[in-house]
Order: sequence, then structure tokens, then C-alpha cells
Amino acid sequence: MTDGLRLRGVHLSRGAITALRGIDLVVRRGELLVVLGPSGAGKSSLLRAIAGLDPVSGGTVAIGGRDVTALRPGQRNVSMVFQSYSLLPHLTVADNIAFGHRIRGADRRVAAARAAQAAATVGCADLLGRRPHQLSGGERQRVALARVLVREPDVFLLDEPLANLDAALRTRMRTEIRAVHDRLGTTTVYVTHDQSEAMALGDRIAVLRDGRIEQVDTPDEVWHRPRTRYVASFVGGPGMNLLPGVGPLRRPGVEATAVELGVRPEHVTLSSGISPVGPLGEVERVEVLGEDALVHLLVGGHPVIARVPAHTRPTPGDRVSVSVAEEHLHAFDTVTGERIPLPAEAAVR
Amino acid sequence: MKRTVALLSLLTMLTATGVTAGCGADTDPAADTVSLLVAGTPDELAAYRALAAEYEKASPGAMVTLIEASSAKDLMTRVSTSIAGNAAPDLFLINYRNFGQFATKGALAPMTARLAASGSLHDKDFYPQAMGAFRWRGEQMCLPQNISSLAVYYNRSLFTKYQVPEPVAGWHWNDMVATAQALTRDAGGQTVKAGEPEAAGVPVAVHGLGVTPELIRLAPLIWSNGGDIVDDPAAPTRLTLDTPAARQVIQDFLELPKIGVVPSDVEVETQDHEARFAAGKVAMFVSSRRVTTAFRAITGFEWDVAPLPQYRSPANILHSDAYCMTKASSRQDAAWRFLEYALSDPGAALMAKTGRTVPSRTSVATSPAFLSPGTSPARSQIFLDTIPALRPVPTISTWPEIEDATGKILENAFYHGDPIDKVIADLDAATRAIFQRGTAAR
Amino acid sequence: MNRDRRQLVLMLLPYLIGLVVLVLLPAAATMAMAFTETDLIATSRLIGVANFVELTRDPAVGAAVGNSLSYLMFSVPLRLVIAVGLALLLHRRARGAGTARAAVLLPGAVPELAYGLMWLWLLNPIQGPVNQLLMLGGQGGRTAFGTLPPQWLTDPEDARAGIVLMSLFTIGETFVIVLTARLALPPEAYELAELEGARAGQVLRRVTLPLLAPVLAVLVLRDTLMSLQASFVPTLVVTNGGPPPYATTYLSLVLYQDAFEYLRYGYAAAVAALMLGLTAVAVLIQWRLLRRWASHGVVGVGAQRPGN
Repeated sequence: MTDGLRLRGVHLSRGAITALRGIDLVVRRGELLVVLGPSGAGKSSLLRAIAGLDPVSGGTVAIGGRDVTALRPGQRNVSMVFQSYSLLPHLTVADNIAFGHRIRGADRRVAAARAAQAAATVGCADLLGRRPHQLSGGERQRVALARVLVREPDVFLLDEPLANLDAALRTRMRTEIRAVHDRLGTTTVYVTHDQSEAMALGDRIAVLRDGRIEQVDTPDEVWHRPRTRYVASFVGGPGMNLLPGVGPLRRPGVEATAVELGVRPEHVTLSSGISPVGPLGEVERVEVLGEDALVHLLVGGHPVIARVPAHTRPTPGDRVSVSVAEEHLHAFDTVTGERIPLPAEAAVR
Repeated sequence: MKRTVALLSLLTMLTATGVTAGCGADTDPAADTVSLLVAGTPDELAAYRALAAEYEKASPGAMVTLIEASSAKDLMTRVSTSIAGNAAPDLFLINYRNFGQFATKGALAPMTARLAASGSLHDKDFYPQAMGAFRWRGEQMCLPQNISSLAVYYNRSLFTKYQVPEPVAGWHWNDMVATAQALTRDAGGQTVKAGEPEAAGVPVAVHGLGVTPELIRLAPLIWSNGGDIVDDPAAPTRLTLDTPAARQVIQDFLELPKIGVVPSDVEVETQDHEARFAAGKVAMFVSSRRVTTAFRAITGFEWDVAPLPQYRSPANILHSDAYCMTKASSRQDAAWRFLEYALSDPGAALMAKTGRTVPSRTSVATSPAFLSPGTSPARSQIFLDTIPALRPVPTISTWPEIEDATGKILENAFYHGDPIDKVIADLDAATRAIFQRGTAAR
Repeated sequence: MNRDRRQLVLMLLPYLIGLVVLVLLPAAATMAMAFTETDLIATSRLIGVANFVELTRDPAVGAAVGNSLSYLMFSVPLRLVIAVGLALLLHRRARGAGTARAAVLLPGAVPELAYGLMWLWLLNPIQGPVNQLLMLGGQGGRTAFGTLPPQWLTDPEDARAGIVLMSLFTIGETFVIVLTARLALPPEAYELAELEGARAGQVLRRVTLPLLAPVLAVLVLRDTLMSLQASFVPTLVVTNGGPPPYATTYLSLVLYQDAFEYLRYGYAAAVAALMLGLTAVAVLIQWRLLRRWASHGVVGVGAQRPGN
């Protein structure tokens, strides 16, 4: 089976700015890959390089085993949904969805029928006669989705399609997008800066930083075995606590001058009692998030965040003992940022 | 030419309001300050500036505010708008063809009494033909500054080169046509027939004659042939160009392009008659005295003026401008004092030296200031000789409109060869309503 | 009246005063003057609708209405097509684009009279550069195709064409507006079309023009409004309304001649009223058409940009 999409050593620079610095990425056929990263990481550039909107300055792009590096966007058979502007304001919903077919010279009636079908797929069949300015934000992106899937492209590219929607709608829409993807099985690259969206949607997640991929893995792997210190701190809400650890560390296969220790807030256990099980921390601030609470502590002068059930939360000023199960400890090379496998890891596995 | 004038008038129109407003704002003027509105070419305006300066020098304490318009039409606009705006100039200079509306509508202060009482100006000092043109209901409304007429400017060097006899007094229209034929030459110096560019075989290097197809060019010829252009010169109601006398003249005139002695419309658009003459590319050019100043700059050939040709008797058309005093002026005494100087021997001589006008004052017209021995044209005397034969255009307030309306038809007829009956009928049809709207000015 | 409204009124006040004193009052006075005989020398006289009756019989006015309409028919669409074409050509950052943009703007910056005089020279039938250029390769004063070059100043049709030609170079303002509108169009709209493989023609027809349509509609209306006046200076300077009798006589020239050359201010005011009426009718027709097209979705009047 050929790959859905394969990027090899893709470089992209615009003027003095280099957006992508050697991207190697394989998206399997039918896979939904989420590209996650902060703004400026090169997420959109990656999509534009795949679509052919920006010519790459190095490397190759192949879609379905076909090298498309030199092809114009229209010849790559990809479809794209933009963050805010995915519809032409002068066209009705039906005409917007049919736009691609009409451009390719399809018969008006055939195009209209396909459009209606696609609209039904994403549940906006009742909007066909409206114009974009008469639609809500959610409806608009739904129509935009219909527009890209009507053509049955080889690859869907979605560039933060939900970024402009409110939280509730965003959650609902991402479920729908996942459902549509499961139904159609089209290779999809989905760009977002929202790590929870990435975790919820992706078959795999590619974490992007400064034009480089830090890690490509399933959400589980990214969560449990972040490959770098950066991935660890970026994924999660909030990200992993990082504390200066011991060093240097020398073990077979590992040589680090300094090591940082990481632990997810979810894995920090707080206990108040006579017999402390770990070092003491002072509670500075507590944020309640419904069922859970985030406790901001100072442990030995270092800030640490713990996520605890809200009913067990301490109050600011309390001194509590902080403990972490060994299997939940992560270690990173302070200099390279790379993950260092700990002995406990093998045990967990 | 017409266009440049229109353009200039527009240019000055933009400044007109400012100037007249400034004049009106002058609430407490010195008793001996007088404003004068004049129109003209830059050298004419310069002459008026010199006149004003001389007057100020000759009468200490006196001041002349000169308001300059660029063309006769512009001047009309400015006089009318300034009268309406209660900021009329004390004096303005106007052609008799346009003076009618101001006289009939009571905008002018009569000068008969002042002239009779004056110690320095007298009725008999001026040519009666010019004085008469500015009389209305027995009153002398304005005092003429000049008395010009049509003449034939000719390139003497060409006449000599091709051994064609120079025009003499009393020559006939047909003599002029024959002379023009003899002078229409190609680059090789052979006589040719000028024609439409489509038909022209050999390009013409020199045309025999330049004349604009206008009613005021036809009028003196018609008079000379014993006809008239309107039914009643004092109170005209229609054109009378259908009389045999007028018809013959029009026919002869419209023949000129067919005979092949005049430049085509395209050639005239390329270079107008005046420039053509100055460039030595047209041998004879019918115009008034006003082109003299410009022609005096010609260095490439010798030129002179000849009398207008005639049919049966000598006849010519009056061109005259006069100083008029506005009724609204609060400084009429000062204005009169200026007039006494401007029309005196030294004042009139100053204007005569520009060469552009024929002085209305007989003593200056017959003096070297005008006849200017040693300077072209040598035969300036012909402008004086023709004075007894001068006639004014009919006096009606809508005369400028009649000139424009007939000009369009005559231009078309001249260059496109419309049948004469149609031309005469069109001229009549286009002017009836304008005559009807006009009021007789005398 | 709340504070915002009061501020709004205060800010508008200088403009409103100017509008009333310099435009509305004179306009009202002109309309009143149309019913009088006024030469500004004697007191004017009420003559009812006589001026308007004369309008219907005046051959100059009849010819001018026809000429003005033909000018409108040719000049307005041609100007728009050229301005849009140039704006679309020059909206990208490219070598020489800035210079080219300036060059498009330049003719509009020349004072009208100077511009007219320049054309008087350009269109000179024999010595003018335009005909000199057309006669390149031809012989005996003919073009390379053996035809006579246009007689810009003496042939009625050619003269009218000349006036339209003159108007085609003063499109700087229209150009700038279209250019700005084009630059404001979202790049995503073009990327969207690019992804669908749209060709240049399809992009123009299906993306650019529909998105620019609201701006273009306004420009057509504006150009129409101005075209009745725009023909004034060229005709005054270059053709003086000729070739005779009225080949390039437009209403503005009739008005000018009647008012300022013949001192018939009352009649000229009636001509002004006619111009106003014609302009209103032209605008009304266009507005109706635009509304109809908009409701059929041909042009996007009133459409908003989605997003945000």
C-alpha cells in the first residue's frame, strides 16, 4: 500500500524567513494526521507546501505515491479549508460547493446534484440557497467542509478550521469532522494550535516547532512518551512540570551532562499529614476547573503545578507534601532536550 | 486662434471673481483712482499698463487700477458679472458689436455733456464713423479708441519671386482670385491647384489666399456689390443673403476651395492662417489691423498690406473699440480725466505705437506714431483711405450669437462644398430666432 | 441628542455649511434663474417656462444631448475596462510596477487645460504625433493600410472619437480605487480558486470581477455623473464644439457659451437643469439595473465578507 502523503526533506523559505527546515513526514492513506504547534511554528506553511500554494525551496512532496513537487495546486487533487475565508461571498452555498466542479467544466445540473449530496453529508442541506453572509460561523465552516469533500480529493487539508468558533461549537464540530473522516476515509492533514483538539481528533499527531517536526506519534505516545522536553511542555493542559534534576548522568547508551525531570500535573500527588512522603511544597494559588483543580506550588524554589480532584484541594498558604510515582517520571537531557529513558519505563511497559 | 482665445478667457475667468471682488472691497478709494477693464493680447495689455503709468506720471495723485481680461468674450462676462455684483469697473473697453446690450440696458453713463464741456477732447477730433458706432438715442455713450478695418496682408517677397503684380487700390475680387491662383505653388515653384488631401496629387507649398469663412468677412464684399446682409441695419429682423448681390458674393467666396487657392480645413487645423502667413506658406491673408504687431516680428520675408478687393464700389467693415463709463461708477469725474489723457495726442500715440490699432483720433492716425515710416507695413495709409467706406455691422444685442451661428454653417459650406441655396436657407433658418430675441441697439 | 450624535453633527458642520453655501444655495438659485431672462446687466425678468420651451427647439441642445449620450456610452465603459485592466495588471509587487502605477496616475495630475492643449498638439492632423505614428510605413500622407489617418479635428466622427480618446487617459482616480479594492481582496479567495485549478480567465470571471462588483458599480455611477461635465474642457480647448455645426458640442459647452459668451444666464440655467435631469435619469436607470442584477446574484451589491 502506498502512502497517502510523503514529504521528504521539505524546506520552505519566503524571503529572509525560513518557515520549514527539512520536514520528513509520512501520512498513511486514510489517516487523519494533526499538525500541532504554536503560532509561527510553520503549521500553515506545511499545509501550503503540500497544497502547492507556496513552492518548496527543497525536498519533495508526494501524494499517493505521485511526486507532485513541481505541480501547480490545481493539479495535485487536494482540497483545503481555510481558517476564516473558505467561501466566496458572492456565491450561494450551493454555488460555493459546486465551484470546483464548475471550474472543471462540469455540467451545471451534475455539479448542483453533487453539491446537494455533499451538503447532506455534513448536514447543511437546508442552507443551499443562502449566501455566506447569512450563515453563522459554524454553518460557514460546515459548508466549507462540504466544499472540500464534494470533489473527493486525494488529501484534505484543514487549516485551523475551528479557530474562529466558540468553545462549545468547536467541540461539537471536531466530533463531526472526525465522524465525516471515519465515513469517507480520506487522507487528512489537520492543522491546529489547540492540543486538546489534536488529542481528540488525530490518528497521529505531528508536533511542529520552528519549522521542524519534534515528534510524530499517536496521541497516547505523545502524551506518555514525549520525545522532547518541548513536546512535553506543549502537550497537556497545562503542560508537563520540568524541574532541574541531577546530573551528569551516565548509563549505557545515555550520556547527559545535566538532566531535567518532568512530571505531568495529573501525576503529582499532594498529601497533607504528619508523615510527609515527599518534599514539602507551599501552595501559592489554586484554580478550580469544575471537577479538578490546578494547584500552583513552590517546591524547593521551583514552580510546580498539580492537578487534583477539586474536593481534595488545599488552600493557598498550606504546606503540603508532594510526591510522584516513579513510573510517571520523565527525564530530558537539559542540553539537547531529548528524552532519556528511565529504568521505570520499561517496567510500566 | 479662436480656441486659444477661449482657453485664455477661461484661464482668466478663474481669477476674475477674485479681481473684481478685490476691486469692490476697495470701499474708500482715493478720489482720483479709476479702474479700467481691458481685454487683449499680452502686448496690448502691456501697452495699457504703459498708458496707465504715463497718466499717473502726468497727473500726480492719480491712480489707475488696470483689470485685465484675456478676450472680448471674457471681458463681456466680467463686465456683466461685476455690474450684477455691484463692483463695476469705472471704465471698460468694448467692441461696438458688443456695446449694444450695455447701452440699451442703461448700464452706461452718456458722455455727450462731458465731451461738450471738455477743454481737451472734442467731437471733431475723432473719425465720425467710429463716433457714430457708439451713439445711442442721440447720446455719445462711449469714446472710440480705434478704427480698424479689413485689409489684405501679403507676402511681398513671394510676389517678387514669382513676378506677380502687387495689389492696387480698387482691385476687384476676381483680381484677387487670379493673383491667388498665380501664387499657389508646389515645392518646385510650379503653380498648382490646392485640393482635398484625398484628391491632392502634388502637395502645395504655398497657398495663394488665407481667409476665414465668416459673415464679417463676407459683409464688406456684399456691401461692395450693392447688397446688404440684413433687412434693416438699424433694427434687423433677418438676414438678406438671398438677394442677387449677396448671392453672387457668397457663391464666389465658396468657390475658393474649388478653385484651389486656400488651405483645406485639415491644413488650417494643423496651422492657422496667421501662423501660416508668418511662416511664409500663404501669400495673402485677409485680416484686420490686429495681426500687425505679431507680423512685425517676421524676419524671413517682406510683407505689406493692400486694400480689401471690391465688387462695384469700395466698402469695408468697421472694427472699433471704445472706452465706456459705467453708470454705477462713483468716480466718473476721475474716469473722465483719465479718458481725456488716454485719447489725447500723447495717450493715443502710445497705444498707436503697438501697431495693433488704427487710432480713432485723426491727428494721431495721420502722424508717424501710426504710419510709422520705415516699419512694416509700408502702406498703413490704406487703413485711413478706407475709412470713408466703412460700415458697421447691424446693431442688435444678439449679434455675437449670429456671428457664431453663421460661422458654423459657412465653415461647413466652405470646406465641404454645400449647395449655395441650401447654405443661404440654412443661414436664414439658424438666425431667425436669434434676431427675434435680440433688441435693436440704436 | 446624545453625545455621539452631537459630535457627529459638529464634525459634519463645516462640510454642511460649505455644501449649503457653495452648492445647494447656488443650485437653487440656478434653478430659479432658469425661469427668468437674466443677462446680469439689466434686472432679470420672469418668463415662465419659455427657456425650457426654447431648449426643445435649440439645435445646439439637441445635438449636445445626443453627443453627451454617445460620450457616456463609449467613455464610461472604456474607461472602466482600461482602469480595471491596468489595476489587475499592476496590483502585484513587481519590477517597474510602481513606476507604471505612477504613469497611470500622471495624466490625471496634469491640469485640465494643459492636458487639453497637449491633446490639441497630439491630435494635430498633419504634424501631430498621433497621426505621425499612424502614418508610419504609409506613403503620401496615408497609413500603412493605405487609409487616410483620422481627421481628429475636422471629421465629426473622428472628433468625437478624439474626445473619448482624451478621456481614456485620465483614469488615475478610478485606477487607484480599483487597485485598492483589488489589494483588499482576500488572498484565500484566489488560493481557493488555484486549488481548484482555475485558469486565469476563470479566476477573473468567477472570483475577481464578482468580488470587485460593488466597487465597480459605484465607479460606473460616479463616472456617469461626471461624464456630462468631463467633456467640457477638451471640447472648449481642443475642438471648440466643432467640427461645425455641433459635432463635439456637449451640454457643458452649450451652457458655458450661453452663459459666458452670450450672457444668457437664464437660458444657461435651463441647460443646467436639463443636465441635472439627464444625470438623474442615467443614474436611476443604472441603479435599477444594478439592483436587479444584485437580486439575481450577478453582482454582489450588499454582500459582506465572511469570517471574523
